Amino acid sequence: MKTLVIIPAYNERENLPKLFEALKETNGNFDVIVINDCSKDDTEAVCKSYGIKVITLPVNLGIGGAVQTGYLYAVYHNYDIAIQIDGDGQHDPKFIPYLIKRIEEGNHLCIGSRFIENEGFQSSKIRRIGIKYFSKLIKLLTGTLITDPTSGYRACNRKVISIFANDYPKDYPEPETVVTVLRNKLKVSEMPVIMNAREGGTSSITNLKGIYYMIKVTLAIMIASISKKSVVKDYE
Amino acid sequence: MSSTLRLVLVIGSVLFFAFIINMVRTKKLELKYALIWIITSLSFVVMSVFPQTVFFISKILDVEVPANALFLCIIFLLLLMVFALTVAVSRQAGRIKRLVQEVGLLKADTEGKNKAPEK
Repeated sequence: MKTLVIIPAYNERENLPKLFEALKETNGNFDVIVINDCSKDDTEAVCKSYGIKVITLPVNLGIGGAVQTGYLYAVYHNYDIAIQIDGDGQHDPKFIPYLIKRIEEGNHLCIGSRFIENEGFQSSKIRRIGIKYFSKLIKLLTGTLITDPTSGYRACNRKVISIFANDYPKDYPEPETVVTVLRNKLKVSEMPVIMNAREGGTSSITNLKGIYYMIKVTLAIMIASISKKSVVKDYE
Repeated sequence: MSSTLRLVLVIGSVLFFAFIINMVRTKKLELKYALIWIITSLSFVVMSVFPQTVFFISKILDVEVPANALFLCIIFLLLLMVFALTVAVSRQAGRIKRLVQEVGLLKADTEGKNKAPEK
């Protein structure tokens, strides 16, 4: 199946080269696209020097808008599977073939979760509490247990690509979109992955924004769970 | 109401109305969004020329002090306008996002194709 790896990147020149090397090492059968969200550094040049296709947005859209551009690309170029992986080096590409396999087995969305085998970087205590809370909230609203709803390391099939290309939140999109997919009665599974602590750059969520994040995402999850079902259009 | 205050109000509201009309005339305001402003400024003119209208409204609404009736109406109107603006901004945010994405995709697709051949 035709597979696309989507890497949203904002000022990630430090982290991308390592990621590209690791992607090559997987020997997987997939295309890679970097969505350069109007970076201030030379992210675009770094991608080109590695021969990686890059889409540079003329205006900074935020993580959601960047990832959605990747899904649009997947629709326009008729990909069967899209995999989202962060550009900051937290996600090890060696799990990509396993994620692909999960989608080929019939899952609509497969999330790489840190909290199934609790290996690798587990994030800070306070963040773990936040993630646990979202997990409980999603379980309450949809009846499905998602151990790592904030994970940005995930794979999906055509149906979900079509939904995401059409409708994707602007910021802090992960938990909300998981609920959207569940709401559409699609099959979501999780796969244990090992994540690393970030090496360069800074996380998009600082302490100050933490409270805003919790409130916004809580509301977004609740609204997603009572939203109308998405329109799924197949593409070719 | 003192005649000076009344004069100031009449002049102010007429100037405001003229200003709005001029903005529309010079295409700085889109008529769609200007309509509510034209109606508002016209009603200011009417209220300053005929203050009885305000007393009349306060009587209908059963509000003792006419000024309070006026405040009530204006705040309600302002809330409506701000809400309409929020709706407009949300819609435009979505449209701009999609435009930016399409431009990015197009630029990546046409890369190298639009450049003048190198010598």
